Amino acid sequence: MDEKRDDSQSLPKKGIERRDFIQGLATLPILGLFTLSWLDKTIHDKPKDLARSQRTIPEGLSDINVAFLGTGEQGYILLNDCLKLPGLRFRAVCDIWESYNQKRAAQVLKKYKHEVNTYMDYREMLTEEKNLDAVIIATPDFWHADHTVACLEANLHVYCEKEMSNTLEGARIMVEAARRTGKLLQIGHQRRSNPRYLHCYNNLIKDAGILGRITAVKGQWNKAVQPDIGWPKKNIIDSATLKKYGYESMHQFRNWRWYKGLGGGPIVDLGSHQIDIFNWFLDAQPKSVMASGGTDYYSKDTHEWYDTVLAIYEYETEQGVVRANYQTLTTNSSEGYFENFLGDQGTLQISESANRGGVYREPTAPQWDKWVSLGYLSAPEKVTPQITSGAVLDVRETIGPDRHDIPVTFNDPYHLPHLANFFNAIRGLEKLNCPYDIGYKTAVTVLKVNQAVEKARRLEFDPLEFQI
Amino acid sequence: MRIDKKYSNWQLAALVTLRILIGWHFLYEGISKLMNPQWSAASFLLESKWIFAGIFKGIAENPSVLPIVNVLNTWGLILIGLGLILGCLSRIATVAGISLILLYYVCNPPFIGLYYAIPSEGNYLIVNKNLVEMAALFVLLLFPTGNIIGVNHFFHKLRSK
Repeated sequence: MDEKRDDSQSLPKKGIERRDFIQGLATLPILGLFTLSWLDKTIHDKPKDLARSQRTIPEGLSDINVAFLGTGEQGYILLNDCLKLPGLRFRAVCDIWESYNQKRAAQVLKKYKHEVNTYMDYREMLTEEKNLDAVIIATPDFWHADHTVACLEANLHVYCEKEMSNTLEGARIMVEAARRTGKLLQIGHQRRSNPRYLHCYNNLIKDAGILGRITAVKGQWNKAVQPDIGWPKKNIIDSATLKKYGYESMHQFRNWRWYKGLGGGPIVDLGSHQIDIFNWFLDAQPKSVMASGGTDYYSKDTHEWYDTVLAIYEYETEQGVVRANYQTLTTNSSEGYFENFLGDQGTLQISESANRGGVYREPTAPQWDKWVSLGYLSAPEKVTPQITSGAVLDVRETIGPDRHDIPVTFNDPYHLPHLANFFNAIRGLEKLNCPYDIGYKTAVTVLKVNQAVEKARRLEFDPLEFQI
Repeated sequence: MRIDKKYSNWQLAALVTLRILIGWHFLYEGISKLMNPQWSAASFLLESKWIFAGIFKGIAENPSVLPIVNVLNTWGLILIGLGLILGCLSRIATVAGISLILLYYVCNPPFIGLYYAIPSEGNYLIVNKNLVEMAALFVLLLFPTGNIIGVNHFFHKLRSK
């Protein structure tokens, strides 16, 4: 071969010969092989592609037509997440802050070639937009009931941010409207669709019973001190419009979460997500709650709801009593946010925060090799105390438990799977992970904390309160 | 007459094999994108980190530029792939291939302190598959084989007549 090649190079004057054809087209068969492989792969993948395409875009509902109602901070996050989902067509944006929220949302959607109409008033949007299938509601809590009921009655499926409503009466009329219209109503407790939480509930708690008997739960969301939310002076909303939509001032419009009658304060904004997990993982609702809280740090004029709340629930589960404490601080961010489930055989630490968490086996519990081999847990790592001060550990020190990672990683935006679940439910492919009855039970559980703070005593839950 | 490097049989076989393998990879990447109407470079570009992130994100967010980039990328991959496999204009194809992969690399480099939401299929520290493929193409640029085994052979032969 070497010799032949050298011939062709050293004797070029003979013109194009058979040997040159062989050398020039030697790799042509590779293209043939490529084409054959490609065709083979196409045939092989066809059923899979078909299944996939049927899964994402079933016949008759090729695109779901979606509107956004409320495009402030939370609505904007949901909007950006929705842009990552296939098979959606965005048709309308509604927000009373025309020069800011509404404009920003419409601009982003237009960038991605969604021709959206913009509205300030939801009633006008529902009258004008005849081709909508679904709406994403991310308005302040006190608007949820009116917005959800109106959208359900306009024959739309609704994804409504949590808290379902700032009042139980509001939550109840939402449930009634969903039942009356038969449309889907998903509440935005997005951890219910998070693959890590689903793994912990389905596999670790329900299937493996890895924690043994859960006796206590501890959860918190601590946040650092934050100034009130401002607004660009040129984008101020006139007072007549603010008043029409229930706000006394621009400050109240921007900081509605702190005002009674509009939001529910940090225990509702933050706690509601995690207390929902208490109910979910314990498969129960609490029997009672006591709580201490108050506006200890901020001005009571602008922070009507409590900036600090510590609550203790008592649950009666099938396995026995579980005491659960939850705290939310808005003056210190120590240890961030998490939910810990403590059982007589192990501890589960879980948080929505980027893959934080782990499972600890109690030293007296049976080995977890089986669960490691099944892929429920990663292999254990020994937790050894770090001694840097030169202090000597006492023999009475408890030996640290084995630590296991939760072997499910989740790197998508937090709300993405919950939104995907909503749209897949519209397509009839999945069941809602957080339908109205779950959202209602969580609202009952959470809203009572504020009452307990106010009354400064332990409040009982009547089991009938959770029934809707 | 241009004097080609004289390779041993094994050297030639190794270089041509490397050329075909990389060509195959480019070609299939391009064909896959061509066959998938849903495909867009947007998510890759939006994920861009490092000093050029502004440019790449700007492309992704500009609806008049993004489709052009998508087409250029798809057909660039296909043509480079064909060029490498067939040994046709393989020097141009090699330079184009290096340039294209360099863009991928600087768009999302695996540098310390940069985190990506798009999960990668391996673990990389500074060196990733893009960088390795780029280096391999550089080898092919310095040790060309298209004039020996490939369509370039005809041009080469005619030119040297």
